[in-house]
Amino acid sequence: MSRRTLARLDPAAAHAFAPPVKRIHDGDDVSFFLGSTAYADIMTFIFQLNAAMFPQKSADPGAPAQVWRLGDQDRDDDFGPSVAGLRGLLAELEAFIAEAPPDPGPRRFGNVSFRAWYELVISRAASLLDKYLPARALSFGKDESTASSKTELQAYFLGSFGSAQRLDYGTGHELSFLAFLGCLWKFGVFPEDDPGVQERAIVLGVFEPYLRLVRKLILTYTLEPAGSHGVWGLDDHFFLPYIFGSAQLSPAISSAEEIPPEGSVANAPKPADVAKASAVERERKSNMYFSAIGFIYDVKKGPFWEHSPILFDISGVKAGWAKINKGMLKMYNAEVLSKFPVVQHFPFGSLFAWEKDPAAMPPAASAHTTSQPQARQNVDGQSAARHPAGAQMQGGTRAPWAPGGAADHTAWAGATPTSRVPAQSTALLPTRAPWAAGNSTALPTAPGSRPQGPRGTAAGQPGVPQTRAPWAAGSGAGGQHS
Amino acid sequence: MSDLDKAIALLRACRLIPENQVRELCYKARELLIEEGNVVGVDAPVTICGDIHGQFHDLMELFRVGGDVPDTNYLFMGDFVDRGFYSLESFLLLLCLKVRYPDRITLIRGNHESRQITTVYGFYDECLRKYGSANVWRYCCEVFDYLALGALVSGAATNLEPTSATLADTFVDTDDSQSSTPATDYADIDIEVLNANNEILSRYRRRDRDPLMSSSPVRGGMSGSNGAPRAAGAAGTGATADSGGSASNDGGAVLCVHGGLSPLIDTIDKIRLLDRKQEVPHEGAMCDLLWSDPDEIDGWGLSPRGAGFLFGADIVKCFNHRNDLSLIARAHQLVMEGFKEMFDATIVTVWSAPNYCYRCGNVAAILELAEDGSNAGFARSNGDAGRSRGLPMPMPMPMPGIGPGGLQGQGQGQGQGQGGGGLIPRQMDIGHRMAPGRRYRVFEAAPQDSRGMPAKKPVADYFL
Repeated sequence: MSRRTLARLDPAAAHAFAPPVKRIHDGDDVSFFLGSTAYADIMTFIFQLNAAMFPQKSADPGAPAQVWRLGDQDRDDDFGPSVAGLRGLLAELEAFIAEAPPDPGPRRFGNVSFRAWYELVISRAASLLDKYLPARALSFGKDESTASSKTELQAYFLGSFGSAQRLDYGTGHELSFLAFLGCLWKFGVFPEDDPGVQERAIVLGVFEPYLRLVRKLILTYTLEPAGSHGVWGLDDHFFLPYIFGSAQLSPAISSAEEIPPEGSVANAPKPADVAKASAVERERKSNMYFSAIGFIYDVKKGPFWEHSPILFDISGVKAGWAKINKGMLKMYNAEVLSKFPVVQHFPFGSLFAWEKDPAAMPPAASAHTTSQPQARQNVDGQSAARHPAGAQMQGGTRAPWAPGGAADHTAWAGATPTSRVPAQSTALLPTRAPWAAGNSTALPTAPGSRPQGPRGTAAGQPGVPQTRAPWAAGSGAGGQHS
Repeated sequence: MSDLDKAIALLRACRLIPENQVRELCYKARELLIEEGNVVGVDAPVTICGDIHGQFHDLMELFRVGGDVPDTNYLFMGDFVDRGFYSLESFLLLLCLKVRYPDRITLIRGNHESRQITTVYGFYDECLRKYGSANVWRYCCEVFDYLALGALVSGAATNLEPTSATLADTFVDTDDSQSSTPATDYADIDIEVLNANNEILSRYRRRDRDPLMSSSPVRGGMSGSNGAPRAAGAAGTGATADSGGSASNDGGAVLCVHGGLSPLIDTIDKIRLLDRKQEVPHEGAMCDLLWSDPDEIDGWGLSPRGAGFLFGADIVKCFNHRNDLSLIARAHQLVMEGFKEMFDATIVTVWSAPNYCYRCGNVAAILELAEDGSNAGFARSNGDAGRSRGLPMPMPMPMPGIGPGGLQGQGQGQGQGQGGGGLIPRQMDIGHRMAPGRRYRVFEAAPQDSRGMPAKKPVADYFL
């Protein structure tokens, strides 16, 4: 009834590529997005990767389940050539850090040398992709059209490492990397295999190293949590490791069709262990959830329950890791994919297409009805109370600001969160460097007689943990979107 | 003990008061705030504080370092809520203190004191979680609408009052010839930085900022790039010229506002004309006052925040001159060293949330302005170069061989560096007010061992 894996493109068939462009300009666009094929593809890919991370039942009923741990495979030759290539790509990006050492000079917060690192990535992106991606991905369906497969790949690739202008990183960038991998999947870069094998190679072999790279960037350049919600966000920077990591600890399954709603695999650490430093230290080596928690321990000082109350609350879930996994998926849908500030700059091309998904008839969302738990049917009468500002301020008109507009559509999408637990969010980086001439000289004139920004002013502003207006377009200098 | 005092005692212990008391408190606070103008008049002495963001234990540390209410007068420049875990406890305590000691504590509005912002950045979630409904959030937001937009501190002394503070081991005097003893003559000193133990970390003398002698103005904070205290040259290059040779010890007024200036506001009186009793608008003067940031630019620029503007040194100097201000104190931006003076000490950022969000590693600061009267009759030495001559002040003197750029050194490693906004005509400086003596107390995050873990873990709805 729904696709369980992202469809691979037929290399023999003609395919018209399109340079990915921004499509989401207001709350209505977010609701369109939630019914688009791009959204369906994203959710399909996430569910596909998620299901593969569940432990596998053994064919022999007496034998223990096979669990998928970090570190079990962590050398390039543990994987096929495509995954090994991507690991090489990430390793080279990490090596760029040596070429752009953090600026020792005074700064407010974020380190301006991140811009130098990012500039290296931009200037070398094309050749990096040539070097590390299989030819299949780069020559796919090549024709005379204006865009190529590489155009689309590069857009998501460059959006994956944070904002050079604001010196921050958030779940919008994380989403971009997922889309980059999704593009590669569509090109058939990951070969046909037994169910779950390639997916696990992607998660353990590529995604986790990607997270390690980003954590290193965050530490090296003190990248700010994009749009930080302080203690009231799930995590300052990431979301997906909580999905894949909770799947690692869920009960064993034989196929993706039988994902249980609750329970844990034998010998899994307890959810409450996230509040124990020693348990986190032990588990972070093998589990992505604990690895993410471990990074929080690395960067935050103070009681866990105080600086991470959302994760602390989740640690009280009694029904096991499958329950947590299910909740994380719902939460990702509501707090990342349905949030205007996060998805507004996700670019849409031919691979993640800005097209209505015929299968996505409201109120059901197509992609996740199998493994996604039954959507809760109402918002417990809290809808108005949860977006009071939106209700009061927006009146009848649809304002292009984030919180009310975007969140109001979550019910429509089929997943209806009943609490506003904000995930960390950020605008996704446009494919071009934010300080590029076109961007800063094209500053819009402020309305009325207000002064015009001088050239390039915002480019010199280091990213600091500052509040951005939620109604702003989010891309720094271009923020006055009218 | 009155109910109010009981509430204060509870909140000081980081415990919440019942919802009906919150409602009553908010009602009383509104009655009080409605009487205040958009720009509250405040007399020195006063201690000026920046963002708190729900860091309750650090707010207690602030009171420990700065003195308790009502013994010390406080002016909080907004952003009491959001991001931290204890926005409710922090804001309600400040509100109780305001109601209990209305003349001892001034609260002005930050950009986070807003319905829309608190629904995004955490305070709304915190209210739901701690009270089970949005009622308390609603009461608080109604108070937000009545908070003043700014404050005008008058009667601040240009000279620092001597203190009993001892010198820290790391003390760095800007005058090498001085022996390391607490100065008894504060006449030259206009900045003193103390740590949480009341030890003097550094001092800056006015003459150190004489343009002829200083080439490395302090960017703010107490330490340089390597974390060591910076020795020479405070806060700009010459914000020290006497006001036309006047013998007054009046430091000129200090405008306090959360964010900064607005292109729509050229006089303080225009702030007074605004209708402030509303949700913070998305644009316009009221929005700008709460959202703007100073930056190393000329004139005005668009803000990467998407609200408010960036404004340069020329804007600040013009505004201060026109409004007879010696200084603008504002908050709104994290500064690693707790405070940061810019544009020849015509504007300072004060940040009062240490180790912001549990991870930024910054120290916090508060700014003490002493009362002019306490120094009445104090005879200032009048022989300092650059002061008695009434040099056109805020800008470095264009000296042969020394371009203004060579004296600025204000670029914060941003590769922009053209601070100061260029030279402004001398005549503009005539009548510029001497900045008040500034005593900064910096402090770190409060110890965390004594905080009790909550017994219950509310189940987040996604995980039901």
